[in-house]
Amino acid sequence: MYKARHAWSFLSIPLLLLLLFTFIPSIAALGLSFTNYNVFDPVEWVGLNNYIQAFQDSEFRKALFNTVYYWLLVTPVLVVFPILIAVLVNQKLRGISMFRLIFYFPVLVSVVVTAILWKWMFAKQGIINYFLSFLGIGEIGWLINPSTVMLALAFVTVWQGFGYYMLFYLAALQGVPKELYEACELDGGSFWQKHIYVTVPLIKPMIFFVTVISTMGAFKEFTLMLTMTSGGPLRASTTAVLLVFQEAFTELNMGYASAISFILFIVILIITFINQKFLDQNPR
Amino acid sequence: MAQTAIENNIKMSNKDGYGKKKLLRAGGTYLLLLIVTCITIIPFLWTMSTSLKGEKDTIFSVPPQLIPTDITFSNFVQVWNSLPIPMYLLNTLILTFFGVVLPLIFCSLAAFPLARMNFKGKNLIFMMIIATMMIPNEVTMIPVYLVIDKLGLMGSYAGVIVPGAITAFGIFLMRQGFIEIPKEIEESAIIDGANVWQIFWRLLFPMLRPMLGVLAILSFIASWNNFLWPLLVLDDPNSYPITLGLYQLQGAFSANTRLIAAGAIIALLPVMIVFIIFQRFFIEAAYSSSVKG
Repeated sequence: MYKARHAWSFLSIPLLLLLLFTFIPSIAALGLSFTNYNVFDPVEWVGLNNYIQAFQDSEFRKALFNTVYYWLLVTPVLVVFPILIAVLVNQKLRGISMFRLIFYFPVLVSVVVTAILWKWMFAKQGIINYFLSFLGIGEIGWLINPSTVMLALAFVTVWQGFGYYMLFYLAALQGVPKELYEACELDGGSFWQKHIYVTVPLIKPMIFFVTVISTMGAFKEFTLMLTMTSGGPLRASTTAVLLVFQEAFTELNMGYASAISFILFIVILIITFINQKFLDQNPR
Repeated sequence: MAQTAIENNIKMSNKDGYGKKKLLRAGGTYLLLLIVTCITIIPFLWTMSTSLKGEKDTIFSVPPQLIPTDITFSNFVQVWNSLPIPMYLLNTLILTFFGVVLPLIFCSLAAFPLARMNFKGKNLIFMMIIATMMIPNEVTMIPVYLVIDKLGLMGSYAGVIVPGAITAFGIFLMRQGFIEIPKEIEESAIIDGANVWQIFWRLLFPMLRPMLGVLAILSFIASWNNFLWPLLVLDDPNSYPITLGLYQLQGAFSANTRLIAAGAIIALLPVMIVFIIFQRFFIEAAYSSSVKG
């Protein structure tokens, strides 16, 4: 009943936009990485030079190290902690939906505002240090000390993201048949036993999904660092994408920046693949 | 509030008998949730309090002073007067409007033939769209910037809006919506002599409402908070959205914590209001992006 020309008339504008802003850039990202494009000089093909330069560049190695460190700090917490919260807010208790809304709200906060809020929380005389002083921990310059800056940024990321993944897990929890819990209760299982033996195996696909999504998120993060620390101090919070951003738009080394971003893309693909192997051993 | 909730639970548990354990668990749940709530809202409360603090209140002190004694709205007045806040908000509104409406239109336009028509090349196009979902935006950031530049869109709102005007995820979502509509719907319309655009616009598009809602919410969050593209594309401070204005404010007034706090609260309020009004839709949007993503 529809003709091919109908299909193409609907697709024409969307495809043009996709071509300009998705398809061409995807290919151009790879193409640019083999050039010395820097806005001013004529473009020259430099082969693998950018890639060779990247692996010899101590700044890039540091940025890659920072990114992996940030990922290892953030992803395990963002995979596990929201499960606990989801289980807690999935109970039928009065006022429980208000907690869901409160936990979700930080997801909606712009990164600029987040940076402002947390710079003060992590200030030397900020609230974090005040609470820590009760544990006998002295003043820490969270954001001005290279060894603590990533911990602080990871904390902010968890603060902003756990409500998002909480909702993902809630969606998964609602698919768990109630009879299974009842069976477990009859066998004398405690609240947490019930969840370890029944919930966790059943929401495994969602755990996998959250692992992948939060991994990608961690490897792509840079606006939080850009707004909170500008990558400092001493480049201790310069992530790989922040380096791409700085190389491309501050130094205008767009060819080199493209090579870095492409390496990063490959790394993300490999990690996603490894995640899949680990978590997907049993068929769903 | 927690108090009454616990009391309520006592009543409930007394009724169904196995009381004590359940009550203990409810208490434990509330305790844990309250701790997490505190961690979640303390940064907001502290900023709120700072924005209301007058000259006599200290900002950084040990112990921190959470409740201002010298409450004043002068910080808000000062920020509102010294910065073009109403203009920033209006700019954000314009950018957000197009950032929400354009994806709704373009994604459904693309999804309609992909879901309900048969034509040569359909699978290839769909595969290409799905494949680009694997490529993070950060990887294509540089070429997209160059395309915007080559099209002469630097400095314009079009340059900010257009990279997000159509997304692979949005097409995917809308396609699901179209697939769920039964086939018979169009057949009767065609017999009635409706043309293909009428079928799309009058018949099917309104039926997509739940999916459109999901995409609208997701686009709203993305556009309201869009920081990267305004930063890269816009050069005239008068065209800045609130995020970028605030970023600038942070540099300009970095010594004046009270003013920055007031600016942050002004930027937060609209999101908070929209969230409170449409809370159900926000939660549903997040659910469906978890199921369908």
